Amino acid sequence: MSNTPETDDHAATATADDTVLRTEGITKRFGGLTAVNEVDVEVHEGEIVGLIGPNGAGKSTLFNCITGTLTADEGRVTLQGEDVTDWPEYKIARAGLGRMFQETRIFGGMSVRKNLLLAAQEGGADIGGLLRRPDDSLMERTNELLEYVDLGGLADTRAGRLSFGQQKLIEFAMELMAEPDLLLMDEPAGGINPTMLENLIDYIRTANDEEEATIFLIEHNMDFVMEIADRIYVLAHGERIATGTPDEIQNNQHVIDAYLGRE
Amino acid sequence: MSTDPDTSGLLRSILPPKRLDRLFDLCGAHGWKLIGAGAVVGALPPVFGLREGYMMTVLSEMFLFAILALSWDIVGGQTGYPSFGNMAFFGIGGYATAILVKDAAVSFPIAMVGAVVAVLVFAAINGLIVLRLRGHYFAIATLGILLAIQQVTRNLDITGGASGKILFDVPPGIVFYYFFLAVLVVEMAVVYYLTQTRFGFILNAIRDDEGKATAMGFNTTYYKTAAWMLAALFTGLAGGAYGLFNTFLDPQTAYNGAWNVELIAMALMGGTGTVAGPVIGAFGLHTIIEYVESSFVGWQLVLLGVAIIVTVIRFPKGVVGTLRAYANEMDYYERGGMAATDDEEVTTDE
Amino acid sequence: MAIAQFVVNGLLVGALFAAVAVGFALIWGVVDIINLAHGEMVMLGGYTAYWLLSIATGTAEGSVLLFLATIPVVVGVLFIVGYALQRTLVSRVIGTDIFLTLLVTFGISIAIQQLAIQAWTANPRSIQVAFADPSMVVGGLVVPKMKLVAFAGAIVLTGILYLFLQRTRTGRAIRAVSQNPEAAALVGIDVEHTRAVTFGISSAVAGGAGAFIATILNIQPQMGLIYTLKSFVIVVFGGVGSIPGALTGGLLLGVVEELTAGLVSSQWTLAVSFTLLIVLLVVKPKGLFGTGADNEH
Repeated sequence: MSNTPETDDHAATATADDTVLRTEGITKRFGGLTAVNEVDVEVHEGEIVGLIGPNGAGKSTLFNCITGTLTADEGRVTLQGEDVTDWPEYKIARAGLGRMFQETRIFGGMSVRKNLLLAAQEGGADIGGLLRRPDDSLMERTNELLEYVDLGGLADTRAGRLSFGQQKLIEFAMELMAEPDLLLMDEPAGGINPTMLENLIDYIRTANDEEEATIFLIEHNMDFVMEIADRIYVLAHGERIATGTPDEIQNNQHVIDAYLGRE
Repeated sequence: MSTDPDTSGLLRSILPPKRLDRLFDLCGAHGWKLIGAGAVVGALPPVFGLREGYMMTVLSEMFLFAILALSWDIVGGQTGYPSFGNMAFFGIGGYATAILVKDAAVSFPIAMVGAVVAVLVFAAINGLIVLRLRGHYFAIATLGILLAIQQVTRNLDITGGASGKILFDVPPGIVFYYFFLAVLVVEMAVVYYLTQTRFGFILNAIRDDEGKATAMGFNTTYYKTAAWMLAALFTGLAGGAYGLFNTFLDPQTAYNGAWNVELIAMALMGGTGTVAGPVIGAFGLHTIIEYVESSFVGWQLVLLGVAIIVTVIRFPKGVVGTLRAYANEMDYYERGGMAATDDEEVTTDE
Repeated sequence: MAIAQFVVNGLLVGALFAAVAVGFALIWGVVDIINLAHGEMVMLGGYTAYWLLSIATGTAEGSVLLFLATIPVVVGVLFIVGYALQRTLVSRVIGTDIFLTLLVTFGISIAIQQLAIQAWTANPRSIQVAFADPSMVVGGLVVPKMKLVAFAGAIVLTGILYLFLQRTRTGRAIRAVSQNPEAAALVGIDVEHTRAVTFGISSAVAGGAGAFIATILNIQPQMGLIYTLKSFVIVVFGGVGSIPGALTGGLLLGVVEELTAGLVSSQWTLAVSFTLLIVLLVVKPKGLFGTGADNEH
């Protein structure tokens, strides 16, 4: 919550390396409960980073503090070298942060195509862009992306009519459209069937390999996260208890204890 | 909320969903021509001699209500903020014009400009208060503001208190006929255009999930306020002309709570979130109310109440929405919905 | 001394506002609906008492006891009205868009109000209760006896409702449904029936209050909306579903209105009430008491 004098120095060092996201000492309390306690994380360009932990560990709260949905009580969030701690949510998103929700949120009353058009960053918030109709190149991109996620035929269908899994793919396609510097995904593997999970892993991989998408994801499905993540952070009771490669995490005694409920 | 099986069977044979769907596509592709054609048809009656009298008034009022319903729908239907206080814009516009024309002796067009400025200033302040609220709170706050303004107007001298203002030397009825028609056509064109732009998409996004829209980088307050001001502009214009059209304005007519419900009912019956819906609803409901008013004096509001209840319970999507759902009922399956990799149950949150 | 007198007047009337608002708050808390037809229950209660008294005496005048004897009937009639409204109409829109629930209750409000005009004309009426000595003076303050009876009646109605919710099996079911309808259904509570009972008892209390209002103010078919909005002010102040909050809010609103009427002019009381609503919504949209309802659903 503070704009300390060294902010600028810090920003300078952050842009010098390839850190996309950095949190320092993020703390969030709800009444007497400390949901997140002095958590530091770092995500570098082109990485897929996992965030795991038992239920109630504070994972979603940490995400909400990063996106600006909640304001952290203490600590700082830096995105692409800029201190965004006190920024409103929409401004942080504009600065390059994308987010997919656990329960999958798309705009059910609008056509699938409009959902994608909305996600495109072209046009932005200036009046000219707002009052122009989408041009051919943008239409072309939506068609390509819908073909890519195998939902090409549904472009003009009301998004609310799609199944949960299809909506999840649309939400993902919207992020491909938006091309954020960093994409936060909250349990992407939750609630979808194994075939679709395979596809989703493919899509995420491809986005990471070819578009160098940087992804920070919460996940409960251990096979999935161990397979896809370059690095993993583990939270328990609001505190960061471990960090490392998937192999290191799998063999970390603290992590195993936390999951088994031992202190 | 579907239609009865037997009537829908009949409907199916006369107008199969596919044909209706093509009709909707056709309308969508030729929206501009349809609005233009509507404007021409609307402009014709006076040319053929309808220049005054009861029919003239009824038609003018139909245009007026269509303006009000469509304005309500910009915020209520497109953006998902159902206001119960739109008549505040109407009343402010009406009183501003009446005061300027009567007490400041300015001409009608200049008074209208003044009225628009007054309404926009009021809408900006009002929006600052109510657009931070959602759901029940938003609806009641808008109603509260309407009633507060009505009470204040009743108690001030400049507005003529409870007895209101009588206006003399007003322009002839045909001026208002064309004025309301012109405002309606312009508004339809504006709304139709906006629904195809990024701005329109953002309004719909706010309606469907404001939190997600914010998370995608949209400062929703900004867009909500813009929609609110647009609705205020057209409602205020209609109100400004209404006082002179009616030659009389008092707190009860200018901030008419029953009208506020009426225009919501019109948008709902025609189909919210569409361009044609509120206009069709306004023409239809006003015709019915006008008929009941002349044949069964005093029962028109009973009818309004019953009509609202029936619409909400039986056809919450309105005429246009219901027909569109009918036209599109199969497209999810036909366009490969079930062929996709996912085999879960289709969500049918109609 | 004048101010003390206004405060006393305000408290006496405020108890009636509170009794009306309590039911409004209860429906909001339990059924999650803003019942815009709540004020019409007040109106119907007033007319029921008026007609009962007219039938009994030939005029709308009577002794206190005779008037009080109408209250149980009023409460019973309005319970049935409320129960039936929920069962036949409101239950069909529960769980749909909030806007549709508002609109359906608004439709009910208009229909009842207009039917009442058709049936009883738009003229205001009041019930005359005969006292040998209409007012008493306590410490220099004038207290009209009928206002005192109305005050006591409102407090008793509110108190009975409170005890009903706390002590009876049905009351516990209502509270269970308000907290979590799914869980309540799982433990065997008939949620639909419970919601209808909530509507019924809320309407009954509002109707009872309406009967008292007919004795100290007046009743007319279009009075309802104002009572609905006053209830909204009170509930926003006191917190959704909180009976102590509604009681405090009602008394305070009564005092504010009487002070406005006494110190400024009675013309401004409604303007002040509605402005108060707006100010409250800006400053404290979730109420000053209790947890308040979620702003988002």
